[in-house]
Amino acid sequence: MAIAIRQLTYAQAINEALRIEMRRDPRVILLGEDVAGGATVTGFEEDDAWGGVLGVTKGLVNEFGRDRILDTPITEAGFVGASVGAAATGLRPVVELMFVDFFGVCWDMIFDQGAKLRYMFGGKARCPLVIRTMIGAGMGAAGQHSGCHYSVFTHMPGIKTVIPSTPADAKGLLAAAIRDDDLVVFFENKMLYGLSGEVPEGEYVIPLGKADIKREGSDITIVAISRMVQQALAAADMLAADGISVEIVDPRTLSPLDEETILNSVAKTHRLVIVDEDNPRCSAATDIAALAADKAFTELDTPIKLVTAPHTPVPFSPPLEQFYIPSPERIVATVQELMG
Amino acid sequence: MASPLVGIIANPASGRDIRRLVAHGTVFDNNEKTAIVRRVLLGLEAAGITRVAYMPEHDFGIVSRALSGQRLTLSAEPLSMPVLGTSADSMRAARLLAEQGAGCIISLGGDGTNRAIAKGCGAVPLVPISTGTNNVFPYFVEGTTAGLAAGFVATGCVTGQAMQRRPWLEVSVDGEPTDSALIDVVVSSVPFVGARALWDLSTIQEVVLSQVIHGTIGLSALGGALLGHAAAASAPSGMHIVLGSGGTRALAALAPGLVTWVGVATHRILSAGDVVCCRAKSGEGNPVGPFTIALDGERELELSAAARVAVRLRADGPFVVDVPSALGMAARAGYLQRS
Amino acid sequence: MATKNDSPGVQALDKAHLLHMYEQMVTIRQFEERAGKEFAAGKIPGFVHLYAGEEAVAVGVCSHLTDDDFITSHHRGHGHCIAKGVDLREMVAELLGKEAGACRGKGGSMHIADVHKGMLGANGIVGGGLPLATGAGLTAKQQGRGQVAVCFFGDGAANQGTFHESLNLAGIWKLPVVYVAENNGYAESTPVTYHMSCRDIAERAAGYHMPGVTVDGLNIFAVYEAAGEAIARARRGEGPSLIECKTYRYFGHFEGDAITYRSKEEVDSYRSRDAIQSLRRSLAERGIAPDTELDAVDEQVQERIDDAWRFAEAAPLPAPEDALTDVYVSYP
Repeated sequence: MAIAIRQLTYAQAINEALRIEMRRDPRVILLGEDVAGGATVTGFEEDDAWGGVLGVTKGLVNEFGRDRILDTPITEAGFVGASVGAAATGLRPVVELMFVDFFGVCWDMIFDQGAKLRYMFGGKARCPLVIRTMIGAGMGAAGQHSGCHYSVFTHMPGIKTVIPSTPADAKGLLAAAIRDDDLVVFFENKMLYGLSGEVPEGEYVIPLGKADIKREGSDITIVAISRMVQQALAAADMLAADGISVEIVDPRTLSPLDEETILNSVAKTHRLVIVDEDNPRCSAATDIAALAADKAFTELDTPIKLVTAPHTPVPFSPPLEQFYIPSPERIVATVQELMG
Repeated sequence: MASPLVGIIANPASGRDIRRLVAHGTVFDNNEKTAIVRRVLLGLEAAGITRVAYMPEHDFGIVSRALSGQRLTLSAEPLSMPVLGTSADSMRAARLLAEQGAGCIISLGGDGTNRAIAKGCGAVPLVPISTGTNNVFPYFVEGTTAGLAAGFVATGCVTGQAMQRRPWLEVSVDGEPTDSALIDVVVSSVPFVGARALWDLSTIQEVVLSQVIHGTIGLSALGGALLGHAAAASAPSGMHIVLGSGGTRALAALAPGLVTWVGVATHRILSAGDVVCCRAKSGEGNPVGPFTIALDGERELELSAAARVAVRLRADGPFVVDVPSALGMAARAGYLQRS
Repeated sequence: MATKNDSPGVQALDKAHLLHMYEQMVTIRQFEERAGKEFAAGKIPGFVHLYAGEEAVAVGVCSHLTDDDFITSHHRGHGHCIAKGVDLREMVAELLGKEAGACRGKGGSMHIADVHKGMLGANGIVGGGLPLATGAGLTAKQQGRGQVAVCFFGDGAANQGTFHESLNLAGIWKLPVVYVAENNGYAESTPVTYHMSCRDIAERAAGYHMPGVTVDGLNIFAVYEAAGEAIARARRGEGPSLIECKTYRYFGHFEGDAITYRSKEEVDSYRSRDAIQSLRRSLAERGIAPDTELDAVDEQVQERIDDAWRFAEAAPLPAPEDALTDVYVSYP
C-alpha cells in the first residue's frame, strides 16, 4: 500500500522496483552484462561492483547474491535466448540488453522464439520474460548506442513494449512488467536516469496498456513518448505564454496501446501532434497517426503532425546530435503552425 | 632399386572413447593431427625420404590437408584402395604398404588403430605416434622427430637394435582364430558392444595382458601393480588376472585421472605360447551370456554364454622403433653430421 | 573406471526396456514413412522434414529422461516428440492443422511441442533451440532437483553463433545440459566435409570447458551408453557435455527434395546398417525376443499410427477466428 511520497531518480526507481519484485518472488532473477559486475574478481568490495554500466542495478547483488544476479559474457543471442528458455520452463527472468541498438545480435531469440512460442504452441506455453534495455540519444554515444527502435518491437505480435517517462511510472510499470506473464520489453531512456520525481514508497503496480495525461489542455493534443514527454512539457510551458493550452498524453505502453485515451483527447482538442525520438519511417508516430486518421478523422481540424528524429543514424558531434533530437523549440514551431 | 618408401596411416576417427565423460582424458583433434603430419613429412624429407604413401580417407583428409600448400621435395601419394571408413582401412593400408616394400610405417592413432595396422604390416617396423591420453601401444613423440627416425629406418641406416618386437594376444572363439589384441583382452559382462569403451569395474571379470610394463594406463596398469607380487620374470611376459575378492587389491591408473583400488582374486605370469581360456561367469561360477570380449580397451566381440574363448600370448608381434635409439644409431653412423 | 556410476549401463536393460526402445524406434520409423506418403498425396500443408534413419539417437537419449526433464529439437523434430512421449494423435492432428493438434493447429510440423512433457518444441530456426535448452538448464540448476536439459541439434547448427554462445554459457555456469549433435553428414544439400572446419563436432567441446565424445549414432546401445553417462554427469552437478552421434537421414532435407547431392550407393550403404534392423538382430540372436515377437510389435505400432491418422483426419479444423487467440496471456 503506497502511502509516503519522496523523491527518487528514474534510475533509483527502477532499482527499487527490481528489489521489491525480487524479494516478492524467488523465481525472479536478473541477467546481463555487468548487471552485478566484476564476477569472480577478488579483493574488491561488493559495494564497488558496477551494478550495470550506468549503475542502475547497483547494490542488488549485495542482497540477492550472484546466484540470482548473473553476470553474462558478451553473447546476447546466448543469454537472451537462455532467458527465453528459462522463462518458458518456470523462472521469471529480467534480462538486460544493454543498449537497444544491440538487438540485432539477438533478434531471433526475441521475435522468433520468445514472442512466438506461446502462439505456435497453441497457447500451451508462456514466456514471462522482461527485457530491460537502454534507449535515447543525447549522451554523445553515437550511432550504435543511441537509438530508440521500440517501433520494431511494437510491430511484433507477442511482444509488449513499455516506455516510462518519469520515475514514478518507471517503478510501477516495471513491477507490472515483471508480474506480467508475457514477453515485455522495458525501454529506459538513458537521458532520464538522473531525472528526479515523486515516487510512492512500497509496492505498487501501474497496469500495462494505460496511458497517462501528463498535462491537461484544450487546444491541442501532443502524444509524446519517453523523454519526449519532458520535451513536450517544456514546449507546453512556452506555448502557455502565448495562450495556447496543450494536453500531453503519455502512452507509457505502446503494445498494448491505450487507444481510448488518445482518441478521447483528440476528440477534445481536435488537433494532434506526435513527438517521437525514433526515426520517422514505420514508427510509433506513424502508427498512432494512422490510428487517429482512421478513428478520429472527423474530430480533426488540422492535419496530424509528427515531430521526429530525421531518417539518419544518430550522429556523434554535439550540434548534430542536438539537431537530431526533437527539441522543445521544434515542438513549439509545429504547434504554432497548426494553430495558425 | 626403388628409393625407400615410408607409409603414413592417420586415423581421423578420434573422440569415440566415452571414458572422457567419466574420466579426464583428451584427444588431439583432427586439425592438430594435420599439424603433426606436416611435421612428420618435414622430418622424413630431412632424413632423405623421397617417396611417401598414405592411407586415404573419405571425409576429412588429414594427410592431404597436411600436404596442401606445402612445398616438399618428397612425393606423397594416397594408396590405391577402397575407403570404408572403418578400422579395416588401416589394416588394408598396412598390408598394401608391406606389399609395396615400405621401409617404415608411421601411424597416428590409439591402440585400436595400431591393432588394425598390426594385422597387416608384417615385418615392416612401426613408429606409432599417440594422439590421445588413453593409449598404451603408441607413444607420445613430436612429429618431426618421428619423421626423422622413421626416415632413417626406411633408408636402412637404422637396424634392428633400435627396434623391439612386441608381443600380442591371439583370440580364438570355439577353436577358430578370430581376432587379436596388442595390449589386453578383457572379459566383460556387458552384453553389447555399444559405445565400446569399458569404464564400469563391476562388469569386468578377467584381463589377459600381452606384457607387463610399469607406467601404463588402463587395465594394463594392473599388471604393473601386481608384478611385485608374482615371481619376477626374466623374459618379457604377460599376465592373466581374474578380478574379484579373496585375493589382493591393486592400485592402478585405470583411466586418465582415475586411480583406484581393484580387487584381484588371482593372477599369474604368462609366457609366450601360454593359452588362457576364459568366459563370463556368474557369482556362482556358472557361464553367463551374452557377454563381450574387449580388445585393447574396446568391446569388439559379442558372444553367447556357450562360447569358448582362448587367448594365446605370442611373441611375434609388430616391430616398434625406439626413436631415441634410432636417432642415436643414425648419429653414430654419421648421418647427422657433415663437414 | 567409475565404480560409483549413476548411469544404468546397457547391462541393466531388461527385456521390457529393450522392447520399449525397439517399439519407440519402430514408431518413429513408421510415423515418418506414413507422413512421407501422406505429404506426397497432398494431405499435409507446408513442409515436413523426416527423421527416418536417425531413430537410435532420439530413443537412445530420451530413454534416460522423464517428463520433468527438458528437450529442445529442430525442424526434423517428429522423432524427438515421439521419444519424449508426445501423443501420436495430437502429433498427426498438428501436422494437419487441426484444433485437436498438440499446438491447436497453430504450429504445424516445425513447431510441435508439449511443454508439460518437457518437450520445448521443434524449431524452424537452425540453431534456435541451443540457447533455449541452455536456459532450461539454468532453470534446472536454480530449481535444484536434478533435472537436465537435452538439446538436439544438427551439423548445420554446429556452426551457428548460438552453438558457440550456448556451450560457452553452459561451460562457465556448469549447467546441466547435454548437447546432442545429430551429425547426418549434410546441412540441407551441403556436406559436412565442406561446411565444417573440424571433422567431428565433438572436437569443439574442448574449447568450451566440457567433454565431447563421438559415437556411432546408428547403434542404439552406443547412444544409450554415452547419453547415460552424460546425463548422469549433469544430474550430479558436474556440468554440461557434448555428444556427437554420427547418423544418417534416409529422406531429403525436406519432403520434395530431389536429393541429387547423395548417391544411391551411399544411401544403400547406410540402409544396410539400419539401426532398427541391428537392434532386431541383437534381440533375436540373443534369444531376448524372437522375430515373431518383434513382428507383433511392428503390427501394434502400425495400428496405433493408423488410429492416429484416422483420429486426425476426422478431427475438425480450427475456426478462422482462432487465428486471433493465444498471442498473449492477457492483452492488455
